[in-house]
Amino acid sequence: MAKATEQIQYETDDPNRIQDVGWTFKEVWRRTRGFVVTSVNLIIFFILWEIVTTYGNINSLFLPKASAMFQELWVGMTTRAPEGAVFSGSILDHFLHSFTNLMTGLAIAMAIGIPGGLLMGGNKYVESILSPYVWALASLPRIALVPLFILFLGFTTTMQVTIIVISAVFPIVINAWAGVKTTEKSLLAAAKVFGANRVQLYYKVVLPYTLPFIISGIQQGIGRGLIGVVIAELFGGSNGLGYLIQRSADTFNTAMTFAVLLLLIVMSLSLINFTRWLEAKVAPWRNVNHL
Amino acid sequence: MPISNENIIVADDLTISYDLHRERKKLIALQDINLEIKKGEFVVLVGPSGCGKTSFINAVSGLIPKSGGSVKVRGEEVTAPGPDRAMVFQDYALLPWRTVESNIRLPYELQNLGISEEEKKQRVKNCLELVDLAGFEKSFPYELSGGMKQRVGIARALATNPDILLADEPFAAIDAMTREAMQAEMERIVMETGQTCVFITHSIDEAILLGDRVVVISYRPGKIKEIVNIDFPRPRMNNSEVKISKTYAELRDHIWNLVKDEAMQTTRGE
Repeated sequence: MAKATEQIQYETDDPNRIQDVGWTFKEVWRRTRGFVVTSVNLIIFFILWEIVTTYGNINSLFLPKASAMFQELWVGMTTRAPEGAVFSGSILDHFLHSFTNLMTGLAIAMAIGIPGGLLMGGNKYVESILSPYVWALASLPRIALVPLFILFLGFTTTMQVTIIVISAVFPIVINAWAGVKTTEKSLLAAAKVFGANRVQLYYKVVLPYTLPFIISGIQQGIGRGLIGVVIAELFGGSNGLGYLIQRSADTFNTAMTFAVLLLLIVMSLSLINFTRWLEAKVAPWRNVNHL
Repeated sequence: MPISNENIIVADDLTISYDLHRERKKLIALQDINLEIKKGEFVVLVGPSGCGKTSFINAVSGLIPKSGGSVKVRGEEVTAPGPDRAMVFQDYALLPWRTVESNIRLPYELQNLGISEEEKKQRVKNCLELVDLAGFEKSFPYELSGGMKQRVGIARALATNPDILLADEPFAAIDAMTREAMQAEMERIVMETGQTCVFITHSIDEAILLGDRVVVISYRPGKIKEIVNIDFPRPRMNNSEVKISKTYAELRDHIWNLVKDEAMQTTRGE
């Protein structure tokens, strides 16, 4: 808030009030230090890993060399399985399968969760009818439902996507619901005084107010959805990153296992950072300081 | 702007109560309020916190239902908000995702006033000039200071060219220096537009400087204790004679004596 106010130059101000200071080393460092520190930090981490696994007496079955992991990741991401192969050893194939499932699952979760949450926040009858089910399913560890879905749907992609949906939908519902409920009373009063009807109240006030809540629900949904992806593939299926983790561990290819884990971390962080960026973009007034 | 003899707001035995669901009781906020406000008049309501001043304004605006009596605007019973009554809020109530200009245009989007796009543009421009905010059209509320935010709030209230301006402690959250400047602006704006203004404040000075009449409301349930006429010529704000006059001191003392006991009561929580 202060940042924006300081930049305003009033007509009555001394024209020299805001002075050009130019680029200093301090300023360059201030802008780039986050990136520089993180990069150096990670490079040192992987170098230490490499040193410990090379010179330490460590069984590569338990902890592979960092270079072996990166090599596995590179090879896995640049090759595809040949046409007609029964099983693919390519990370890219499995990644695409998992990623498509995750996106489909998230899209379905949003399509159900956003209108559902908005309705629950806006209508007390809908709220009292649905809330016991929402809380019951939200508090149930979703992994407990996996055997049931395997029974219903078999070892299919539909089963995997269903588990992702059921994992991701509740944070979205609950956040949208809470967003509607916490809409500032004075904003609603203002809209009413200036002539808003019920539909306009929703469209012009409640929905924009709730949007950042919905985005943070989606952000949590991504995390939960990823758990759903891996669980679904660990339990049932013959493709996806979860399956690849199990397969590579079973065949003592630990470097592959670590490569897939690294890929999962990168994928998860990228998606979550995207939603943070989106949140800051649609709701700059919230000025949230992220962890 | 001269005050006409025509009554614009008439409250007749107006009673407002709230349900306390948990206790299965009803709380009477305002009881038997009889008040006639003339066109062009500046009426200030003062009274201790929780005495029902806001309830009165909300009833006039049509935001809350009344539980007894009637409140009429230009002879018609108030049942819902209308474009002839606008409100300025204590916490500004600006939509944070909209620019200053877009906030001021909000009333045009919510109701059909039957005015052309040209006219709307002109009015927004006039309103911004009236509150000294020309050049800040594209700023967002979070980029503005408290005083500037409230100017936007006032500009938005003026956008529909309302006959009645309702102000619920508009300057309560603004620092003392800016507050004096805002009071001067308020007086100037109301004099220029000739609007009827119902204004709530906790500040006795603000009440005397702005009001043609000061309505003192008692505490729980809110009843009219006394109505004090203020006869200083306008504009009062840049007239240093007003604040140092004997009449001013007497009025101040008189109103303070009226609210003192109840103000003390609220601080003791009785």
